[in-house]
Parts: sequence; structure tokens; C-alpha cells
Amino acid sequence: MMIHGPLVERLLSGQFVCAVTAPEDFARLQDETILQALNDYLRPLNRRIATSQDGSVFFLAWCELTPELRDQLRAQFQVTLNSLLPLLDWMQLVQEVLGKDSTVAPGDTLKLHEFVQKTEDHQGLRQRFSQLASDRFFNSQAEALDAQVKTVFRRLKEHGYLEQPHAERQFYVVTGKVDYLLELIRFIRDEENLPVDDTTAQEELWQ
Amino acid sequence: MTSGLQNQKMLDTGAERLRLLGKYAEPLMDAYLHGELDEAALGERVIQRLLQARIVWRPDHEQGLKLRPQMARMVASMIADESRRQANAEVGEELDRIENAVLSYQEAIVKGQHSYAELQLQSVTEYVHDLLGQFDEAIDSLWHRLNSHFGFVSSLSEKIRENERAQKQIRRLLEGLEQISLGDMIELARDHTPLRKLLVVHLQDRLSTHHASLYAVQERMIELLARFREQQSRAVLVQNMAAYLRQNPQFVPGDYTWRSKVPDLVNQSSPIVPAAHAALDRSADTEVLAEIVASLPTRELKPQSATGEAAAVKLADDRAVQAKEQALKDDVERYYVATLDEDKGLSALAFLKQQKLNWDPEIWLFQVLAEYQGLNASEREQLTLDYCQSEASIFNQLQLIHDVTVRIRDVA
Repeated sequence: MMIHGPLVERLLSGQFVCAVTAPEDFARLQDETILQALNDYLRPLNRRIATSQDGSVFFLAWCELTPELRDQLRAQFQVTLNSLLPLLDWMQLVQEVLGKDSTVAPGDTLKLHEFVQKTEDHQGLRQRFSQLASDRFFNSQAEALDAQVKTVFRRLKEHGYLEQPHAERQFYVVTGKVDYLLELIRFIRDEENLPVDDTTAQEELWQ
Repeated sequence: MTSGLQNQKMLDTGAERLRLLGKYAEPLMDAYLHGELDEAALGERVIQRLLQARIVWRPDHEQGLKLRPQMARMVASMIADESRRQANAEVGEELDRIENAVLSYQEAIVKGQHSYAELQLQSVTEYVHDLLGQFDEAIDSLWHRLNSHFGFVSSLSEKIRENERAQKQIRRLLEGLEQISLGDMIELARDHTPLRKLLVVHLQDRLSTHHASLYAVQERMIELLARFREQQSRAVLVQNMAAYLRQNPQFVPGDYTWRSKVPDLVNQSSPIVPAAHAALDRSADTEVLAEIVASLPTRELKPQSATGEAAAVKLADDRAVQAKEQALKDDVERYYVATLDEDKGLSALAFLKQQKLNWDPEIWLFQVLAEYQGLNASEREQLTLDYCQSEASIFNQLQLIHDVTVRIRDVA
């Protein structure tokens, strides 16, 4: 059990475990016996290991929900909801700035320097990025693009969407939490019957 | 013309024309990449030779010179340029050629024309290799496209179209493979050992490899297409959801957290930090902890700030402490006075208890001893101090004082 200590601590501290952030821990969680043992251990803490539908991220969920915990979850969900639009805008901007035809996906590497350079060259993108950086979620007060980009990426790291492999080097890796976010968006869309399509037929219209 | 002479002529012409490819490699590659040959740079004579060698051609009068399709295909295959490489799934033609050559071979054997039969066998071998090479080339191209994730086209929708085209090719290649019937080949080879070896053993072996490879590449192509579609769907979802949220800023989803079964997606427990500290309650750990302490860098004391802090504390507590000290001193004096009335001496702790004094016993004993030390020598001589003490443990001979009894020394 002791060898799983760092994994349990990671989960308890509220982090998401995916193949990018902790490949070894992620591999361990694929093992049904280990999962069971960890769940038995977490049970007295009223926690269990939950996973996204596609199994790409693990995190801790409450076992039993009291009214207080439900209130707490609601507050937390509200925070996530408020961050949806800035996060979606950021994903679109990254796609456009880097000239890719797909959204950021777990394992993608983003170089801060490259991002700044490509945004700088394009007035429209530059303006959109400044607007995004000043959003309450990112809350950058800076005027300079370089500082804005740094703040935005740092905030995304704090929220677990990005990982910085070397503290002193300015490149980031996209984590599995991005997949979690998209799953959440699909979930909300289906629950609320939103007219938000994700099929390719629609794509022809906006391309 | 004998076949020897004919061969020599073919060799000479072929070699001369192949040399043209080497000599004009760069302008030809330029034509491959840009579509047209730069005629001005080459000169009339060279262009005539290239036309004669059927390396380039002019599709119509208004256009410039282009590489002939088979030349372009050769280059595409050599540099694995997947945007122009072609997979030929035509099998019928090759099979006819093989059949004809086999029949000629068997005829020659029957007629006893052994050298002619040899030549025909060589043709059969070549045609079989052509047939297999055609699949080999196509399969190589397919794997190459797969492994580069169709990197030769830029947009995702193009990649999806290219993938679908590749899958069509795979289906045609598989159909082509099915046209080659092993039964027909066995019948064709009859009991001629070299033919059996070629048409049955070799062909069969290679065809089954190709078959397996095609199925493998097909499976991977389907997987990749699914991944492309998923990527595309993510991008569309992000785009459309952002647009929706922007158009409906008042949008509030239902409260999923009060459902009887809360979906895992919104059920995230709050973080706990499992903190731990150095503990000394287990003797086994002391050694490790001692090592850690020893390895710590010593902290330099800053005398200035130390006195500063001490002074501040002193200012605040000065009066209270002084008053307390004085009270302790007075009580101890009362104790000494009390001992004068007791012949057998008086225990310090007993006095403390008897007088219901509120001092900590240890501080009390310290003060009693300090007071004794503070007396002048002649006064000290008149008093006897008895320590009630014991060793700290059987391994430690440190003497612990539990109590002190003071009595007047007998005047002998």
C-alpha cells in the first residue's frame, strides 16, 4: 500500500490523474485490484476514485452526499460554469494561433515563446487574446502581451489544464483535464438539449 | 536480328536514356515539383533528347513540357510523395501475362527448345515479381500515409478525405488479391518443379503476407479515421458551445448536484492535505531524525536582532516578572524562617504544600537552593541541606533532586 502513497496524496489534494500528468499512477489505476484497495482505503474519508466516461482521467468523488456537501458541489460547479467560456475561447485561440485544425488535446506541447510570437504578428488575434486575458477567470492586469500570456498559462496550470514539466522552461503540456472539460460540455449540452452540434455536417457550414 | 544483338541495343539505348535522368536530375525534379520543365534553362538539343527518351511530353500545344505520368509515378514512389503516389490494384492484366508466358514455356519444353523455355521461365518470374511488387508498393505507400497521419495534406477535412480514399484503395487491393486463385496457379504449374516453386510456393507465401498486411493497415486506417472524426467533432463542439454561451449569457444549466444520483462529472470531493510531522515517540526513528537534524545547516544568530527582540519582550513583561520574582523570594524567606523552629529540619516541598503556595515545585526548589547559595559563608555554616535524590535511571547516573530539607546545624 505504501508504494501508492504519492498517488493517494495526489488524488486527495484534488488533482486529476491522467496519462500526461502521472503516467505511472495512471497505469496503476487501470488495475482493478489496486483500484479496489485504494477505494477501501478512501472509504472512511467518504471518498472514492471516479473517472470520466472515456476513462482518460481519475479524480476523487464523494461516496455519500450530505446536504452540506451538495451545496459545496453546487458552488464548485458554479465556478466551473463561469470558467467555461474563457476556457473555450482559449482553446479556439490556441487552435487559430498555432494554425492547427484540431482543438488542443492531452499530450500536446505548447511553447510560450512560439505562442507569443505568432499572436504578436496578428492584430486580430492579439486583440482577442488581450480581451481573454482580462477576463475574470484569467484576471491579468498587464498591458504587455508577454505578461498576459504568462498569466493565462499559469492560471491554466493552477487549474490543472496544463502541466509545466520544467519550472524554469517555458513550455507546457496539455493534460487530460481538457478531455474532462469537453465531456462536461457534452453532458450539459445533452442534459439541457442545447442546439450545439458537434457533427461534421455542421462543420461545412462554418468553414 | 539475333536476340543477343537486340539485347545489346536495348542495353545501350536504355543506359543512355537513364543517364539523361541523372544528368538533368535537378531540372527534372523541378518540373516534378512545379509542374513544368524550364525549357529556357536547358536548350533545344537537350529538350529533344528528353522528348525522345519519353521522359517528358507536351500534353497540348499551349502548355509547357511535363514529366510523363510514369516518370512522375516513379519519382513519387522513390521519394514516398504520398500526394502523388498511386496504388495500382489492376490484377487481371498481370495474370494474363503470367498465363501466356507459362503456356509458351510449356510449349517450348514439349518441343525440346530448352534455351527458349529458359527465357520464358525468366519472363514468368519477372511477371510474378511485377505482380507482387505492385502490391508491395501499394502497401508501402499505405503504411507510409498512415504513419505520417496524412501529414502531406494540411487540414483535418482533407485528411479525412485522404483516409477515405486510402480505405477504398485497400478494398480494391483486397479484391485484386482475391482474383489470384491458388487453385488456378496449381493447375497452371502442373508438375513442373520451377513453376510450382514460383507460382505456388513463392506466390502463395507472399500473397498471404500481403493479405495480412492489408488487413492490418485497414484496421489502423479505420482507427485513425475515427480519431480524425473525434478531433473534428471536438473542434466543432468547442466552436459551437462558445458561440452558444456568447449568444446566451443568461444560460444557467440545471442543478445536477441535488439529484438522487449525482453524475460523477460534477461530483468532485474537496482537497485534503495529509500533513505529517517529525515524531519522537518511536525509538526506531530517533536515529534517522538525529541524522536529519545533524545535516541541517546551522542557523547563524544575528546578535543585533536577538537583543532587539529580547529588549522588546523585557519591556513588556518587566514589571509583572519582577513582582513575581519578589513574591517567590519572600515565600522562600518565610520557608527559611520556618525551618528555624523545626529541630529536625523542614522539607521544602512539605512547606510548599502546607502553606498552599502556588509555585511550581521545581521552580520552588531552585529558588530554595539559590537562596542558600546567596547566603554568606558564616550563615551557610549554620544550616544543613539534605537532598532527597535518586539516579535518573539504572543506565544514567544523573542525580535528580526530588526535595530539599533544611535544618539548623547542631551546635556540637
